[in-house]
Amino acid sequence: MRDFLPIFEMDVRNLFRNPVLIGYNTVFAGGLILIMGWLMGDSYARVSDAYQYYAITLLVYGTFSGAMTATNCFMERDIKKPNLRIIYSPAGGSSVWLSKMLASFVFDYALHIVLLILCGTLLGVTFGSNPLAFIVLMAPAELLGTALGTFGCCVLHSEELASTVLSLVVSLLCVLGGTFFSPDALGGPVATISLLSPVRWFDDAFFAMACDNDLSSFWPVFLGCSVAIAVLVIGCKHFFRTEDYL
Amino acid sequence: MESLLSVRGLTKSFKGNQVLCGIGFDVIPGEVLCILGPNGAGKSTTINILTATLAADKGEIRFEGKSITGNLRAYKQQLGIVPQDIALYEELSAERNLRFFASLYGLRGSRLDAAVEEALVFAELVDRRHDQVKTFSGGMKRRLNIACAIAHHPTLVIMDEPTVGIDPQSRNHILESILRLRDGGTTVIYTTHYMEEVEAISSRIIVLDHGAIIAEGTKESLKESIASERHCLVEVDVPETTSDDTTVLRSVRESLFSVDGVKSVSIEGATIDVTSVAGIENVDGIVSAIVGQGLPIKNMTSVPVSLEMVFLKLTGRKLRD
Repeated sequence: MRDFLPIFEMDVRNLFRNPVLIGYNTVFAGGLILIMGWLMGDSYARVSDAYQYYAITLLVYGTFSGAMTATNCFMERDIKKPNLRIIYSPAGGSSVWLSKMLASFVFDYALHIVLLILCGTLLGVTFGSNPLAFIVLMAPAELLGTALGTFGCCVLHSEELASTVLSLVVSLLCVLGGTFFSPDALGGPVATISLLSPVRWFDDAFFAMACDNDLSSFWPVFLGCSVAIAVLVIGCKHFFRTEDYL
Repeated sequence: MESLLSVRGLTKSFKGNQVLCGIGFDVIPGEVLCILGPNGAGKSTTINILTATLAADKGEIRFEGKSITGNLRAYKQQLGIVPQDIALYEELSAERNLRFFASLYGLRGSRLDAAVEEALVFAELVDRRHDQVKTFSGGMKRRLNIACAIAHHPTLVIMDEPTVGIDPQSRNHILESILRLRDGGTTVIYTTHYMEEVEAISSRIIVLDHGAIIAEGTKESLKESIASERHCLVEVDVPETTSDDTTVLRSVRESLFSVDGVKSVSIEGATIDVTSVAGIENVDGIVSAIVGQGLPIKNMTSVPVSLEMVFLKLTGRKLRD
């Protein structure tokens, strides 16, 4: 733990010094909510319903896109070499990937909470009678995204390759999960397939909490996600190789 | 004297291609051991295994008599590593970089403050301590790159070509600082492509080629190994009107090989490098062989044995090839 903290602190600082990542998680995500809500406003009873839908689905999209934050934090060109020094030190080992995973989680989670507050304040998006539960359930989603990104780097041994593959996977899961349009509108088979996407599970749980004050999905999604995170963490431990930094 | 580091039977293959073929060597406390070898000789692989970043297929590394397997943390605590590339956070100041990297070795509080201060003095960056690394010159970054590796006072410093791409002044500063480290009792393993650096700092040299150690010893003993040869550089005047230079130079080569004691002849432009057996007085024969082919001699020099020659003799290649 003594070794871990300086590395974790440095990783968090590095992320908050990265304007591209900050922009992607706030301005880009916020802009996307505004544009999609405005464009699709006519398809909903009220424009505010469109903002409600896209604020939640794009927030889930953002949490899963945390995979790319993790790949960046893990192996991005400018920080790969200084990271090699961490590998050289007695602290090098599991602390390296664990720190990247948790730092990316903290970074994404903090920015997405800010975005959530802005959506509530400026666009009138509601998060149910218990917004705290909503924010708590965001945590495993964020961690699942960053764990996926870290796992991708450990398995594929390259930031570029991991980012490309994961961006495709996340986009596919999100389209399937109903990020941009409801899969239910496309008929029975598509709606059934969409249930395979974890994005859909989160979307459904968040909509139930925000619109119906229904917390029944909280624990199943929370626990299911925790199991997936545990599997990815074990995978990172198994596949991580220090020579990938050479 | 007992070795600080003992390497035995180190073997490594990449995709069926054997890069290290069971090499073994010892590192004596307080020495500067230079590892030389042409590109692809296995230097970087050796360094990466010594830094515990890459696993060997076979072999053992013992540090202070104990196998590093199972004692990796203690081993790494005693290591300072200067990688070939600049490994610094460019957005941070020199002091923040030093502070962070030294903290990874368990330094805290006043010990950390003292170590950072000492490293800044070592790198001659006290005045620039608060400046971002991205504003530094190449030489300053190289100095800081070394300072980050030695701030925690390691017993063994491993440097992988730490002077690549810097000006002569910074290179001299780095070489002097390595000698200061050695004088302070630190052991250094050093790889380089610059033979003059080896001449300046090495206590002992290992020559690697094709994954095997082909020579080992002090620079004096390695030079002694080819002292039975003498080199003579002859600069000739190749007339512009000569219709076929190749024919003339081929004739010169043949004439030189007929001179008693001549072992090899290489011709580059207007310079002829003649290697002959030491002790045979054949300079007049060499001169006659060249002049006899109609080539006037502009200059003639007897070249003392250098490490470059030793390297060329051992590997058949120049160090920077």
